[in-house]
Amino acid sequence: MHTRREVLQGLIVSLGGASLLSACGGVASVVSTPSGATSRFYTDRELVLVTRLSDLIIPRTETPGAVDVNVPGYIDSLMADWASADTQRTHRRALALVDERLNAAVNGDFVQAADGDAEVALIALDTAAFNGDSSLQGYRSCKGYITQSYFATEPGAVQELKWVAVPGRWDASVEIR
Amino acid sequence: MADFDAIVVGSGMSGGMSAKELTERGWKVLVLERGPEIIPERDYTDQLPPWQSPNLDNVAQAEIAEHYPKQYGGVAYAIKESTKHFWVKDDEHPYEEAPGTSYDWLRGYHTAGRSIMWSRQVYRLSDYDFEANQKENVAVDWPVRYADIKPWYEKVETFIGIAGSMENLPQLPDSVFQPAFELTDAEKSVKARIETTFQGRKVIPARVAHLTDATAEQRELGRSNCQARNQCHRGCTFKAYFSSLNATLPAAQRTGNLTMVHNAIVQSLEYDAVSNRVTGVRVIDAETNATRTYTARVLFLNASAIASAMILLQSTSEKYPNGLVNSSDQVGRNLMDHVSSGGAAGMLSGFENQIVYGRRPSGGIYIPRYANVTENDKPYTRGFGFQGGSSPLGNAGGQIAGIGRQFKESHRGTGPWRFNILAFGEQLPNPENRVTLHRTRRDKWGNPLALFHVTYGENEIRMQAEARKDAVAMLQAAGCTGITSSGSDLSKPGNRIHEMGSARMGRDPATSVLNGWCQAHDVPNLFITDGSFMTSSACQNPSLTYMAFSARAADYATTLMQQGAF
Repeated sequence: MHTRREVLQGLIVSLGGASLLSACGGVASVVSTPSGATSRFYTDRELVLVTRLSDLIIPRTETPGAVDVNVPGYIDSLMADWASADTQRTHRRALALVDERLNAAVNGDFVQAADGDAEVALIALDTAAFNGDSSLQGYRSCKGYITQSYFATEPGAVQELKWVAVPGRWDASVEIR
Repeated sequence: MADFDAIVVGSGMSGGMSAKELTERGWKVLVLERGPEIIPERDYTDQLPPWQSPNLDNVAQAEIAEHYPKQYGGVAYAIKESTKHFWVKDDEHPYEEAPGTSYDWLRGYHTAGRSIMWSRQVYRLSDYDFEANQKENVAVDWPVRYADIKPWYEKVETFIGIAGSMENLPQLPDSVFQPAFELTDAEKSVKARIETTFQGRKVIPARVAHLTDATAEQRELGRSNCQARNQCHRGCTFKAYFSSLNATLPAAQRTGNLTMVHNAIVQSLEYDAVSNRVTGVRVIDAETNATRTYTARVLFLNASAIASAMILLQSTSEKYPNGLVNSSDQVGRNLMDHVSSGGAAGMLSGFENQIVYGRRPSGGIYIPRYANVTENDKPYTRGFGFQGGSSPLGNAGGQIAGIGRQFKESHRGTGPWRFNILAFGEQLPNPENRVTLHRTRRDKWGNPLALFHVTYGENEIRMQAEARKDAVAMLQAAGCTGITSSGSDLSKPGNRIHEMGSARMGRDPATSVLNGWCQAHDVPNLFITDGSFMTSSACQNPSLTYMAFSARAADYATTLMQQGAF
């Protein structure tokens, strides 16, 4: 597995979907945008933006992060295979607005901003989105795609959520120690 | 010489039970299923982990628009990439709605019908329900009372397996129970606070058709206890929840008396005016369009309240020009469902250090009807039960604030809990609410399309408005914060998928189609034991009642057969 820094640096230098998808290794088994392929829906700019958002929203911790498991590739195929033309347009418009707002917040290019600056900008945007800024509904939707896609991957489900295929029993009250 | 002792039309919830009860009494039975065969090893998808379902298990939006606009609009939560094959394609199975009305006809055409996809909540009716029409002078009186059906509830419950708790409530008699799914601590807290604040209201574990202590008979049929996976809408390879395919059809099969034919769409019933008997059914093969007739001494219609009514309406003769056994003109009328709208959700604090293990398969809590039972100050008649439950907010699909490690780890199931309830209310019978045959439009097999004309009355509208207020008041009493209530729109007729009443039972042949044994007043060798027979809807989920009446009718038909009636 590449380090998170390697992935992001490669991404920023290339601004190319092929590099990104190759670097991520296609961990999520259902991603139909395969390793090494170019994106089927996203433009280069959209792909790097979704990748930066994914990395900040669900970073690598003791478990793989969203970029490690190729969430951007997953959403790329989601948009190509599942989304209607209306949904595709809505998603594109949302990304354009998020790009604009975050660039303004960092006073430059959000995807190339230092981690700290990018985090501050995204936290402010996220806070506004969940506190009544209806113009950011598209951001919330995008965050939903990232989150749901991450937890639908095997590492997200098994390593992070501790998903078990056959629990075998229902325990209604488990104390967290 | 008839081909079979009995033909059962439909292999779903009630058809499976009819077939089981008849074959176990020695009848040679043909079950006709209009859809293809479900083979669990091939068609169940419950073993798929999340990462093997494409597109987050969502059906492509263009595919929904083309094939599932009605089905998906009605039950989006259940129609996934992994389950869409259990639902009909609307473009292949269209229907019509009268101007100014709308109806959700949500279906699955295959072995076991909707018993594959149902939500598995099961509750007995009581004499509050069986006596209501008579006491209120509504429609017609049920020709049965609770004591008549009680032993058949017990028989069916023992066979199918129900998880629940003994509560001793007169309006919701206890079933034969296996251990209930325990309430969460949040639900126990809600229960205590609601029951303290509202004397007479009870919060109980949902009663669900899942095995939690499988009997020897259930294990003999290959069934085992629920594994707490909550993959039920995909089928269950453990056969832990009840479906015809998991239980009644295998039980019928093992008698050696069952013949089952798939892709057999019943177009009409054959009627002999001289003997005044149904003699058989005319079917068309769904795949080849070949037609043929099967004959039998007795016929059980279990095609669903809508399809059974349509088959009767399509079966015209000189004696019954408006449809078989329709001398009362009640076939297709009084179509009922349950009505929802009143509901609320809120957040519960104090349980942040608790999680659950396993995935509870169905339901959580149930609040039995109290309106016009223990509280008699209501501006409406009848009542509703609330279904609901609690769960950690957990993975809310990314719809919670935050980014980074804290956001990521918040999905592990810790944090605030959410609690919600939704009312399922009774719909009064109304003869103007009906399904008829479309005059001109036909399906690809040449059968008339269903035309629905169903609207809600003032009682349903008023009841749900009050239910909404009650829901909010109970959540406030429970200590919920951030309470949101449902809008004022009622669920579409049909949307609860509890259609019933289209060939009601009653005491008078002039005003009802069936007698108290689900036997047609007009033609004695015809029984209808799907939801058609329901004289009123009550507010309880009805499948258990369909099965109990099916078992009772099969026993009665056997007595008549032994007496030489057929």
